[in-house]
Amino acid sequence: MGNTRLAIVGLGVITGTQTGRSRRMLVSEAARLAIEDAGLDKTQINGAIEMRAAPGGGDRTNYSDGFPRILNLPVNFYFPIGRGGALASLGIAAAYSFLDRGLADYVVISGATDVRSLAELARARGHRGRPHDLEKEGYWGSPVGELRAMSHHSWMAARHMAVYGTTSEQLGAIAVQIREWAQRNPEAQMYGKPMTLEDHQNSPMLVEPYHLCDVAQVSDGACAFIVSTEDRARDLRQVPVQILGQGFGDVAATLWWDKLNYTQMAIRTARDAAFSQAGITLDDLDAAMLYDCFTAEVLFQLEGYGWAPLGEGGAFAETGAIGPGGSIPINTSGGLLSAYHMDDLTGFIEAVRQLRGESKDRQVVGAKTLMFTSHGGEMLSPGMCSIHASTILGVGR
Amino acid sequence: MTTEWTKARPNIDLDNQEFWAGLRDHRFLLWHCGVCGAWYWPKAYCRYHENQPFAAQMSWVESSGRGVIHSANVHRSVLDPAWKEDTPFAYVLVELDEGPMISSTLLDYTEDPIRVIGRKVGVVYEDHLDVGEGFVLPKFALLDS
Repeated sequence: MGNTRLAIVGLGVITGTQTGRSRRMLVSEAARLAIEDAGLDKTQINGAIEMRAAPGGGDRTNYSDGFPRILNLPVNFYFPIGRGGALASLGIAAAYSFLDRGLADYVVISGATDVRSLAELARARGHRGRPHDLEKEGYWGSPVGELRAMSHHSWMAARHMAVYGTTSEQLGAIAVQIREWAQRNPEAQMYGKPMTLEDHQNSPMLVEPYHLCDVAQVSDGACAFIVSTEDRARDLRQVPVQILGQGFGDVAATLWWDKLNYTQMAIRTARDAAFSQAGITLDDLDAAMLYDCFTAEVLFQLEGYGWAPLGEGGAFAETGAIGPGGSIPINTSGGLLSAYHMDDLTGFIEAVRQLRGESKDRQVVGAKTLMFTSHGGEMLSPGMCSIHASTILGVGR
Repeated sequence: MTTEWTKARPNIDLDNQEFWAGLRDHRFLLWHCGVCGAWYWPKAYCRYHENQPFAAQMSWVESSGRGVIHSANVHRSVLDPAWKEDTPFAYVLVELDEGPMISSTLLDYTEDPIRVIGRKVGVVYEDHLDVGEGFVLPKFALLDS
């Protein structure tokens, strides 16, 4: 890591169904809110990055007109970045390069999702299938039953069950505890909808072994944040949220070739680099926002980061360790599973709020060091071949 | 087949066209290294030694079409309307005897997916020569019922 320390100095968040609002307007509005939150003037923003869930893992790249023009920001650069759900993590990594070299003072990073509105539109149109559609270039499987994330992730759960004896009830324990956190977050789509293990088990089986309650929400929303150097951050309105370390791992390095990618994710290199840069061990984390597109995704991270030995993530979850009152609060806003799906931005937003002391009823008292993780799209399909990112944030360190 | 094909059609490109041509002939081809004998799917440069330009030492070679189920799921809810008539169906990831992994529908099985992991399968060819430019899909059937 270079000598420059970075901090998040502004945050803008838009949640809830956004019918009638385009992605470009959501991205623009989130950026405007973030600039306002930082107490900056738009004339000070000289770098912009847009987070888009590019293939693999999503194709939200197909619109034009960038938010810097729409908001009239005098930026020296603007480009899109992202891979699947790895958005905030990659945005931060890219911004670092520009800030470290003095190519910008304040970089605004913004992204939006309209998956919920699109899904409701499709439903209103009677899901009129398009006959004779062509599979996407380089992709395998739509003609033979492939449903991308739903297929790959249910294979992860199934393989872990076959090899280690993990049960659906253990995955349910993860879902239940994260749902408990959501009961303390009025912004969560599942706020006011508590869930027992029995509810989880009784929820419709989508792709066995995954029930409906093992799967993330479908959401609209947008998030933007401003990154700057620590010295500039000190003069601004908000408590600077320090970016202490980052690390990445890709399943394509060894796990895919070794055929271990349905029981493990590429966490080791990400964890080691991030922890080393931040100068921390696992016990230093006051809470963690673990990418939770599906319940087994959380279980794999409980094992990969070391809270539980390989194969024992289910038993660890059953102890109640990750819910309110547990030893390691996980996804305190309700995560993708119960709050909303905004890729890694869901965890990023809550990490920033916890560190700023803004998490109200779900505040982890004295939170100083947190992690949010990212899962990014499959390099090929079929094939759970994803990027994993670990980002350590802190205050007062 | 006479029923209308409402699902996606395969995307046949420069890197997989020989694989799809093999399927038309009911042959299961895999990408094979002429130097060391390693097998791959999809196409890759050989991992174990230097490669000729554009991996010219590799070629598509007929393989057994047999393997073992590495993981499995069963689609019980209709998530894609094109699959309504087929649901429930099992979708499996197969570790082929030669080494590479490939996925497809598992025929004639809709019970607990965990129980079918580790079972032996063999490829079954499903002809759709009258759809668009025509293609044949590889699917799997249990060998040791």
